[in-house]
Amino acid sequence: MDEGEITHAFHQNLTASSAASNNNNPPHHVLKRKRNLPGNPDPEAEVIALSPKTLMATNRFLCETCGKGFQRDQNLQLHRRGHNLPWKLKQRTGKEAKKRVYVCPEKSCVHHDPSRALGDLTGIKKHFCRKHGEKKWKCEKCSKRYAVQSDWKAHSKTCGTREYKCDCGTIFSRRDSFITHRAFCDALAEETARVNAVSDMNTSLGGNIGYNVMGTSLGHNMATHFPSIFKPVSNTDETSNQTSRGLPLWMGQTSSQAQETMVNSNLREIHHQLGSATSSGTIYGGNSLVQCSNLPPSNNYQLSWVFGTKLSNTSQELTTSTTSLPLCNNNTSVPSLYSSQHQPHQTSSNMSATALLQKAAQIGATSSDPSWLGSLGLKCGNSQGQDGNNNKFSGMYGSSFVLSEADNSACDMSQMHPLKRRHILNEESGGGQTRDFLGVGVQNHLPTFINQRVDLI
Amino acid sequence: MDTLFRLVSFHQQQQQQQPDPSLNSTTSRTSSSSRSSRQNYYHYSHQEDEECFNFYMDDEDLSSSSSKHYYQYQPHVSTNTTNTNTTTFSNTTDYSYSFSPTPPIPDFNFEFSPNWSHNLLLETARAVAENNRTRLHHLLWMLNELSSPYGDTDQKLVAYFLQALFSRVTDDGDRTYRTLASASEKTCSFESTRKTVLKFQEVSPWTTFGHVASNGAILEALEGNPKLHILDISNTYCTQWPTLLEALATRTDETPHLRLTTVVSGRPNNSVHRVMKEIGARMEKFARLMGVPFKFNVVHHAGDLSDLNFSELNIKHDEALAVNCVNALHSVSAAGNNRDTLISSLQALQPRIITVVEEEADLDVGIDGYEFVKGFEECFRWFRVYFEALDESFVKTSNERLMLERAAGRAVVDLVACSPAESVERRETAARWSARLHGGGLNAVAFSEEVCDDVRALLRRYKEGWSMAQCSDAGIFLSWKDTPVVWASAWRP
Repeated sequence: MDEGEITHAFHQNLTASSAASNNNNPPHHVLKRKRNLPGNPDPEAEVIALSPKTLMATNRFLCETCGKGFQRDQNLQLHRRGHNLPWKLKQRTGKEAKKRVYVCPEKSCVHHDPSRALGDLTGIKKHFCRKHGEKKWKCEKCSKRYAVQSDWKAHSKTCGTREYKCDCGTIFSRRDSFITHRAFCDALAEETARVNAVSDMNTSLGGNIGYNVMGTSLGHNMATHFPSIFKPVSNTDETSNQTSRGLPLWMGQTSSQAQETMVNSNLREIHHQLGSATSSGTIYGGNSLVQCSNLPPSNNYQLSWVFGTKLSNTSQELTTSTTSLPLCNNNTSVPSLYSSQHQPHQTSSNMSATALLQKAAQIGATSSDPSWLGSLGLKCGNSQGQDGNNNKFSGMYGSSFVLSEADNSACDMSQMHPLKRRHILNEESGGGQTRDFLGVGVQNHLPTFINQRVDLI
Repeated sequence: MDTLFRLVSFHQQQQQQQPDPSLNSTTSRTSSSSRSSRQNYYHYSHQEDEECFNFYMDDEDLSSSSSKHYYQYQPHVSTNTTNTNTTTFSNTTDYSYSFSPTPPIPDFNFEFSPNWSHNLLLETARAVAENNRTRLHHLLWMLNELSSPYGDTDQKLVAYFLQALFSRVTDDGDRTYRTLASASEKTCSFESTRKTVLKFQEVSPWTTFGHVASNGAILEALEGNPKLHILDISNTYCTQWPTLLEALATRTDETPHLRLTTVVSGRPNNSVHRVMKEIGARMEKFARLMGVPFKFNVVHHAGDLSDLNFSELNIKHDEALAVNCVNALHSVSAAGNNRDTLISSLQALQPRIITVVEEEADLDVGIDGYEFVKGFEECFRWFRVYFEALDESFVKTSNERLMLERAAGRAVVDLVACSPAESVERRETAARWSARLHGGGLNAVAFSEEVCDDVRALLRRYKEGWSMAQCSDAGIFLSWKDTPVVWASAWRP
């Protein structure tokens, strides 16, 4: 997907959730799966409706000589060379970014409507299989079923390898015993107290780290460089380019990395980059952006582990896109939810992530516009009301716990904070200081430069 | 030893015979006295006591001891009591108790034969049924010598069954049961209960099998409804529900509202009240964390479940109802048609689904006579399977296992020594339950492939020995080494 497409997508999407850009995501109920609201395509794009048969067909291109089937025309052409048949490789036509979007043939599906078409052929295929197809692939260990082979493979790699650690310190290899334990664990009692305290704060603050990040980035014309982030597209009207200076560089570096590694390494990189960024005086926004972009993959990982089937669909897309929001949120919210003594374990965050998302779905699920930007105090093209978003956003991301301050500068801080915190957690095993993710007293842990950043903004 | 002394004095009271010096002297002997001294006794008793018999009908149990020729099995009918109900044997030799019988020395070999506990206990049951007091005392004495609640499976079984048999013979069953129950209540707390139950679920699929199957069926039956009500009639302390809550939170598109009403039956018990209160609080917190709108209610019902007033349960018609009965049906009195009444009441609620989990055994122990012996044997078989499964699942020194075994011991007292009308442990087989449920106007719902897969995946996570089998009547069995032990099924009106 090239940047042009992304831009289009951004222009279209009005929802405040992070975009899976044009990737397919299971069209879950909008309110619930905050993450992706795919299928808000470019109105100028050509809508293609394929029949189920065509979608499911794997080898559409057949060699006339030997009947061998290929998924792509290019492959067929290369194969024809072997038969000494005339062949022609299609050149990449530069002229049109003739955008094609695809609709789902299933009538009852959300994506059947052209205005909600999905932009990627592979994506629509996977979507159709996942949502409307028969689940032919089954995990041996836990009997989860998948319709798409790649989903199944991805799951099998991690199934059973995941360890779940409760806040009380017990480790489980089985998810079900972990869940049952968690429900009755003493650690739960403590957390809920904190959660309640936090969520009160949160609803008033409405600051999600996630969207704080986005806010800054979007505000600065970064949008084009950040594929995943948010559909909240208010970035169409970019205002100043203050942050854009450093950004492209960042983007170049980070996006390539974003796809790669596990959470820890990502975070470290982010941290390093962040560190260097700050030292070089790059704009704060830029830093945060970078961080965010690196985070999503790992987040997705966690989320996919946590959510199992539900997220397995999304995790893949997310890996490729650089959605920073959910990740940021998860990082921050998770610890706050669950640790009285912080544990830098993803498992606990996984659990929390689930919880968060669920909670989020309930809390705020109605947001459809990125008015949160306003809350950041940033002027974006569409400046929108300040407060309503907060809730929505938190709804989206489930990070109802992030901020402690009610002001925008605090947002930035928290924005930095979770990432930094995560880094601390990952690098120092047991960084016990990170107790209070929610931000009460958080500032104490933040490095000074963050404060500076806040000032900048 | 305490039991032994009581036995001795009981024997003396009952028989009103001269004090038995030989008996007294035996008490000072250790259980593994030398063979020669026992043989002396053997001969002695043979000469004086017509009641010589070997306990084992099968020849294989006889050693090469020369004494075997002396010992023919001669069942005796007690002449002291006039209320002997059954005489399976016609030998009515008038036998006087005037001499002091010594406990027959067990053939050493029998102690180590693999089925010694079974054989010994069965003989004792027979003696009880025949009201053969002398023999009974001998056997009880032997059982006492060999029993230990901390030994191997056989010794444990003997310990608990001895306790039950003794209380039966002394007509003390109810009191014994109450004493045991209150003793356990003293140590019962949320912490201890949680520890025991969760540990059991971690090491053995005994309970989780039913949970997974039921949750799967419930989720499928209630799919798509925005408001759910689950009526949980069980004593599982709500350990079934966290995974259901998690599934509701993650696997459904729209998280529905869930209302959970748990009916806890049993003798009124303060500690259970406290535990359930704590559990309720935790469940609510957990549900909040999961993001599932949740309401929780506990109903403590003393007495028989067939008396339960369903209208008090606040069942609303805009909610999709599921009824979950785990080990609940067998706690209803088997007398009269209480069980059928309960089933009809459940059917009358018109729930979307009723999930039934029961243990697979026929424990309707008869009051006396042949029925008693037969029931006793089945009882023994069942608890043997249970103890063996526990033994292999837990570590040797597990305290949780001890708690579970003690609970089983109380169940044995209930079955063997208490009145059947008040017994809460009378399990029935899947076949009989299915017949009752069909009779109550319910139809079986087969578990879907997904649920079966989930169950199989669950079993794979435990140690070897567990498997799932289809039940020909309805539902599925959890099998321990090919013996079905737990039955799970789903029904709807």
